[in-house]
This record gives sequence, structure tokens and C-alpha cells, in this order.
Amino acid sequence: MSNPIEVTELSRSFGNLRAVDSINLTVTSGEVFGFLGPNGAGKSTAVRMLTTLLKPTSGSARVAGFDVVGDPSAVRKKIGVALQDAAIDPLMTGNELLRLQCVLHGLPKRSSLKRCGDLLERVGLTAAGDRRVGTYSGGMRRRLDLALSLVHEPEVLFLDEPTTGLDPTSRMALWEEVRNLNKDLGTTVFLTTQYLEEADQLAERIAIIDDGKIVREGSPASLKSAVGAPTLRVDVSENDLPLARKAMSHFGEERPARRNRIAIGLVSGTTGITDVLKALDDAGVEIHHVELDEPSLDDVFADATGRRLEGGQV
Amino acid sequence: MSSFDSPQVPSFAVVFAGIQRGLIRLQRIPSLILPAVLMPIFFVVAFSGSFASIVELEGYETDKAVNWMTAWAVMQGAAFSGMGAGGLAGTDLENGFFDRLRVAPTRPMALIGGLVGYCVCRALIPITAVLIVAFAFLNADMPGGLLGVVMVYLSGVGMSVVMSFLVLGIVFTFKTLKSLAIAQIIMFSSMFLSVGQAPIQAIEGWLHHVAAVNPITNVIRMCRQGFLGEVTWATTQPGLIALLGMMLGTGIWARIRYKKVDA
Repeated sequence: MSNPIEVTELSRSFGNLRAVDSINLTVTSGEVFGFLGPNGAGKSTAVRMLTTLLKPTSGSARVAGFDVVGDPSAVRKKIGVALQDAAIDPLMTGNELLRLQCVLHGLPKRSSLKRCGDLLERVGLTAAGDRRVGTYSGGMRRRLDLALSLVHEPEVLFLDEPTTGLDPTSRMALWEEVRNLNKDLGTTVFLTTQYLEEADQLAERIAIIDDGKIVREGSPASLKSAVGAPTLRVDVSENDLPLARKAMSHFGEERPARRNRIAIGLVSGTTGITDVLKALDDAGVEIHHVELDEPSLDDVFADATGRRLEGGQV
Repeated sequence: MSSFDSPQVPSFAVVFAGIQRGLIRLQRIPSLILPAVLMPIFFVVAFSGSFASIVELEGYETDKAVNWMTAWAVMQGAAFSGMGAGGLAGTDLENGFFDRLRVAPTRPMALIGGLVGYCVCRALIPITAVLIVAFAFLNADMPGGLLGVVMVYLSGVGMSVVMSFLVLGIVFTFKTLKSLAIAQIIMFSSMFLSVGQAPIQAIEGWLHHVAAVNPITNVIRMCRQGFLGEVTWATTQPGLIALLGMMLGTGIWARIRYKKVDA
């Protein structure tokens, strides 16, 4: 059996802008795959191509064994999609939208009613099923969106930034639901996100996309270990920056950091921190703040692109 | 796990679901239909009163202005109702719901059919409202009898289908509700450049030539015939041909422009 998602040299341009630039991907069956990148990196464009909503400029992609351009109808039967912003008609009730979704996927009426009830229960919206979606909170909308994408028991589920704009509690509830789906039903999940923690928590494998190109791919653990040394961040005054930079340069390579902060990959590991602090003290640098972090996905991103992800720690 | 092995989704079910969704929205926001009902009622009341004596001119073929103006108002209301398809599609495109519809394994024409079917149902409301006002309060006549009333509904429903397709094509092209303004300009100009307000004999210059070849002229004549006299095949046939031709043309336009949404 072929992999649920196979992407070869997939590209999409809008005029002179190359939103997705020759990406290659393989997602295996039952996997939760994270597609991580900042706003405008090309995540949503890639998802729109994989879900047949947008035609690629070049390259090819097969989803659930079917070509997204050659046989879009077959792809649509096999996939569930929850797009960015939970695009739901606010005038309809949750039940009405689920029934509409059942019709759109050709489910028999009798089984539809049971399916709608089951799905509402699964996402914890049974009590709100007959309320207009316009009265739902952001988290409830997302959960309904997820339920809508599941009515036909898709083999592959695409979640495009499913937790953007949600409060932490709703975010974690949705993560739990995605985990359960993957565990209980074996659904392959393709998740795009700009949140490092989300990718770290949910995805078994991650591809990092920046400026339309995939810059890293692998499991979160392997990507982080590949970055190597932990990051030491030291905040100093602007005047002390040259001195601090010079003193710290003996302990590791400098990494991107925000203003008035110097970050290095501490080659000697966490035990080397005292040596660095002593060197800074000897150089007469006044230290305002010190942080030592094991490599994060943000470090992976920074290592690959020279920049930090939006919202990421610097 | 496996997906439901559903056969090709039956289009009629999708069309029906689309109509149902539109009507549910209409029920929840009745103001969506208000302009399409109030405007033609205003037309028939105001024009029948203001131009009461206009029927003395040659070509009106009736002694009451309301008999002339009712058909005009019906067509206006039906055409306005057709705009509803563009309004709903534009809203869905702007808030992203249209993507959810597109990503389902349904035929595009089934989705379009649902929107058009919704507008046909919408059109029945202003048509009926105008007829009630014309007969109950303005003393309109229908010498064409029941067949005349059938012609009114047939023309009105047909015009709403034509306008729905036309507006959908425009909205699919521009992917925004704002493009309804373009649709309105096309709708108004095509309706006014016909025999809606005056018989062809009374129209002069280039307007006369445009009205003579405007297919909407034939549809309005078909709609109006029952108010002026007997319903005849000679008047009905050109109207039906015009309607079918416009439906085909605008239907193809809407389907072609649907592809633009993918671009």
C-alpha cells in the first residue's frame, strides 16, 4: 500500500512569488506529521494543493493513493479538512452543518443522524448541537470544524493551524482530540502550525518550511539533537555587548538572539555555564539575565534559517 | 481505518441540501429578502400611480397602467432574488465556507445548482407579493386567466435562474461580495434596456434597437401577456427560447468561472 501522502517537487507560484518551492514529502500511514513554519512560509498553500483546493504550478502530489490534480474527486472522498479560521456558516446550527456535510459526502440519511450525534459527542458539543454556530466560542468552532472534517471517516486528516487564536485550555483540549483520533482510528494527520509546542507535542515527524522551502525534516528529537549544544543566553547592556560577545566566543558559536542579548551554543554542555559567567565577570561585563536551554524546535528553526520563529523564544 | 466507500455523491441530494441551507439562512435573516420584495412592490405602486395616463399612448394595449407595470415589477423582483445566489456564494467565499463545500466530493454543478435553486425559491416570494398587491390593492386584471399567472411565474423563475448564474459567474471571478455591484449594474442595464417600462413603439433611437434585440424583451412580453389579453404561443415561444438561451449561456459562464475559484 502506498503512503497516504507523497509529494514530489511540488511548487506553486502567485505571479513572481514562489509560495511553495519544490517541496518533497512522504507521510506514512497512521502518522501525525507536523508542518511547521512562520506566517507566510507556504504552509497553507501546500495544504490547499494537497487538499485539491489549489492547483500546483509544477510537481506532483498523491494523497490516499490518488493524484491531487488527476483525480481530485477520489482524493476528496478520502480526506478530511479543517482549514484555517474554522470556516463555518455562523447562521447554521452544529447539527445542521453536520447533516449538510453528510450529504456532501454521500452518506445515507439513516446513518447520518447517528454519525452526527456520535461526532458531536466525541467533540463535546452535544448540548450545543442545536445552537447557531455564531454563538459558539472559538474553541467550540474549532471542535465543530474537526467534527465536520470527520463525518466520512477520512483516511487522511488535514488540520491547517487548528489552534491559532485559541486559549490554552481549548488548545490542549484540541490536542487531546487529535491524539485520540490518531490513536483510536489510526487516522493519518497532516498538521500545519506556527506553534513550536504544538508541533513538539503532537507530531511524530516534522518538516520545517520557510520561504516556501523545506529546510529541515525529521522527528522532533532527532532535529533537536542535530542542533547540538544547549543555548546559553545572556542579557547585557548595549555598551557591554562587544565585550560580552568576545568573552563568550571562546565557549561556542553565536546564535541569533534579540537585542541586548547574546546567545551561544554551549559546546561544553550545561556544566560549562560557570566558566562562561566567570569569563564575563573577568571581562567586566554586567550581567542582567542568564538562561540556559536545551535545544528546542525554535533552535532547529534558527539553525536552519538564521531567524527565530514568530512567537518563539529568542 | 477506511473511509466510507460512498458512491458518487448524488447531485440532486446536494442541490436539495444547498436549497435547504439557503432557506434556513433566509428564515433566520428575513431582511435578506426584504429589498427583493419591497422594491418591486414600490415599483408597481409608484409607477402605476405616477404613470396612470401613460396607457393612452400607442402600444400599451391596456387601459390600466398596473396591468403593464406588474409584469415589470415581477421581473425586477425575480432578477433581484437571483442576486441572492451571488450574495450567498460571496459570503461563503469571503469567510472560507466555500472551501468546505469545494473540498467535498461533489460535482461543481451540484453546488451551483443548490445556490440557483435557493434563488428560485426566493423569487417565488416577491413574485407572489407583487401579484397580491397588484390584484388586491391596485385592481389589476388578468384576462389571460390561470395560464397568464403561470406565465408570470415561469418568466419570473426563469429570470431568477438567469440572474443567479450571471451573478455567480461574476462572484466566482472576483471572489468577493463587493463584486455584486458589478452584477447590479449589468442586471439593471439589461432590464431597463428592454420593453419593461414602455412598449417598443414608444422607445426611440438606439434604445429602440437595443430593446428590440435584448432577449429580456421577449421574456417580459411572455410575462406580461396574460395581463393584456389571451396567452398565445406566438408570444410565449420567443420568451421561452430567450430564457433557455440565456440560461444556457449564463450557466456555462458560471461553470467556467467556478474554475477561477481554483486559481
